[in-house]
Amino acid sequence: MRIGEVIGRVTLSRFQPQLRGGRFLIALPMPLAALTEGALARGEELVVYDNLGAGPGSLIGISEGREAANPFGKTKAAVDAYCACLIDQITI
Amino acid sequence: MQLGRVVGTATATVKHPTFEGERLLVVQLQTTAGGPDGEPILVFDRLGARRGDLVVLTNDGRALQELLGPTTPGRWSVLGLPDVRS
Repeated sequence: MRIGEVIGRVTLSRFQPQLRGGRFLIALPMPLAALTEGALARGEELVVYDNLGAGPGSLIGISEGREAANPFGKTKAAVDAYCACLIDQITI
Repeated sequence: MQLGRVVGTATATVKHPTFEGERLLVVQLQTTAGGPDGEPILVFDRLGARRGDLVVLTNDGRALQELLGPTTPGRWSVLGLPDVRS
């Protein structure tokens, strides 16, 4: 899981039925300098499935790849980035 | 498996239910030359690694699923803490 900062949302008018109940966030991965020194640098943005309720400015744990679809169990879901936790605090 | 350096810890109240009670570390992966490799990642730890420690990580999601259950979205976990790097 990478750490990402939420900067926005994507709204879909049509989507696959197994994605119902979630939202889609736009998040920027946080490089080390952003976590340790408060640098403004960010990684390349990605769209993340979320059902925990992250909002703009939230720091989230982004699960990517195969594991991102694990929470859907046997349901086939085309998700490769999943908001797995809302980070309260990072102690560096 | 890859070496990484623990740069801190993370706390999360709202999280996937399989994460309940687990320690989350912030780890910077390292290249073979010892430089940073990509962005820092969140890693599950049951071994008690601390900030500054060098850790051996696995990105085998199946290994973590043995601990946290098959629906966990986590992937990286601490496999061990090497004594010396040679």
